[in-house]
Amino acid sequence: MTEALHSKMDTSDACDLRFGQVGIACVRVRRVDAAALCEELERRVRSAPQLFSRAAVVLDLSHLLDLPDDGTVDALLEAVRSAGMLPVGLAYGTSATEALAQRMGLPLIAKFRAAYEPAEGGSIAPPAPAPAAAPAPAPVREPIHAAPPAGPALGAQHHEGTVRSGQQVYARDRDLVVTGAIANGAEVIADGSIHVYGGLRGRAMAGAQGDEKARIFVSDFRAELVAIAGHYRVFEQIPKDLEGQAVQCWLDGEKLMIARL
Amino acid sequence: MTAEIIVVTSGKGGVGKTTTSASLATGLAMAGKKVAVIDFDVGLRNLDLIMGCERRVVYDFVNVVNGEATIKQALIKDKRHDNLFVLAASQTRDKDALTQEGVEKVLDDLSNDGFDYVVCDSPAGIEKGAHLAMYFADHAVVVVNPEVSSVRDSDRILGLLSSKTRRAERGEGAITQHLLLTRYNPGRVALGEMLSVKDVEEILGISVVGVIPESENVLAASNAGVPVILDDNSHAGQAYRDTVARILGEERPLRFTEVARKGFLQRVFGG
Repeated sequence: MTEALHSKMDTSDACDLRFGQVGIACVRVRRVDAAALCEELERRVRSAPQLFSRAAVVLDLSHLLDLPDDGTVDALLEAVRSAGMLPVGLAYGTSATEALAQRMGLPLIAKFRAAYEPAEGGSIAPPAPAPAAAPAPAPVREPIHAAPPAGPALGAQHHEGTVRSGQQVYARDRDLVVTGAIANGAEVIADGSIHVYGGLRGRAMAGAQGDEKARIFVSDFRAELVAIAGHYRVFEQIPKDLEGQAVQCWLDGEKLMIARL
Repeated sequence: MTAEIIVVTSGKGGVGKTTTSASLATGLAMAGKKVAVIDFDVGLRNLDLIMGCERRVVYDFVNVVNGEATIKQALIKDKRHDNLFVLAASQTRDKDALTQEGVEKVLDDLSNDGFDYVVCDSPAGIEKGAHLAMYFADHAVVVVNPEVSSVRDSDRILGLLSSKTRRAERGEGAITQHLLLTRYNPGRVALGEMLSVKDVEEILGISVVGVIPESENVLAASNAGVPVILDDNSHAGQAYRDTVARILGEERPLRFTEVARKGFLQRVFGG
């Protein structure tokens, strides 16, 4: 009882310590060349300064054959900094990476995107666009992948059947077509547009690389969340006029629009 | 001739997995099949109680997996059906006592012993015990209650069944998924307090193989150590019989899913 009273009176805790999910970009180093790295990142920061300038990034060295020595890693970190981004840690790797992180005084950040990573790997990964005009920090766990140089157009990626709770489907550099339902707690993500021919009860994120022209089409709308190019809306209550309807979502400037089809 | 392996699973606890395993195994045995039912819930052994053989457990599943007993020594013959056997879980060990190789060997041995069906009663959760129970399955009975948390957990399980099983990993085709709705109360569905059969089918995108009504007989049968399917007077028992028949390929209409209209005498005297 006294304990409870005490804690009630004591409102001056020095801090709250919580775990949360934050969007963070991962720079996967593919060859040890600080100058080239700096140049590449600078190009990306220039192309989307509001997105990448002073963005927190994690350095992923796991795709290098050998772990570089401390001096080289320092140079790589400096390259990231001079490009205008802020390295905040190393991506989780082997025990050698752990030792390296300890020597550098940097935290090790778990390999958070493993679920999306295709076997062939990507190049340097830009972060997903930060949600603009958002009332709260984004709960959106955006895929972090590189947009490769524009190549031949890819057809849409098809997913047959239901996407179950806890599953994620990611269509890289293309549209996604889902012929089944997307359950509560399931996520579908595409760099292009998303078409859902079943019920959408989970989350759909189109334009994950920042394509503001991407759209989401749903034949039975009951979504938890929809996002386009990082602009998102969550639905604690599905608007009555949209629930169960065929809808499309698109971006009008910064505003995410949803209307019945 | 290899045994068909059926996992009874749900994700969520307390929805009726063990009750279903006991009734399913008994129902298959009543249909003349040679059946073994295995309790995968190591550390929280319950199936033997529901089957009414708890005082005859000498060796258990973990003993067999560890090679401390043969499968023949550990199988407990059901007192009502000669072709039904129970393999109890160990109460004193934890789920880490099971290994994939050990489980595979037990299932192979049962298959070689001429069993038609092996029913695996999965523990709750999606961790090792549940994973091992589902890994080798050919069929899955996903038990779900008409409430949102159970439905979501079942959805998760359905996803795992289509990706984290041996059949899925080997590309041998999806395992057959049967959705079984238990603790169904048509009255509460009518009042909007419970999800309807249609709601659950719509959310999960698959149709039910059976609907077991909420019934006091289930608790009574469990406490008596008699699988409720043997209680032919109860709606739950009859619904389980229908379900087993459907799993064996028969077509039967759903029963007990509408509010029963009470007759005059029942209204007067209760019933």
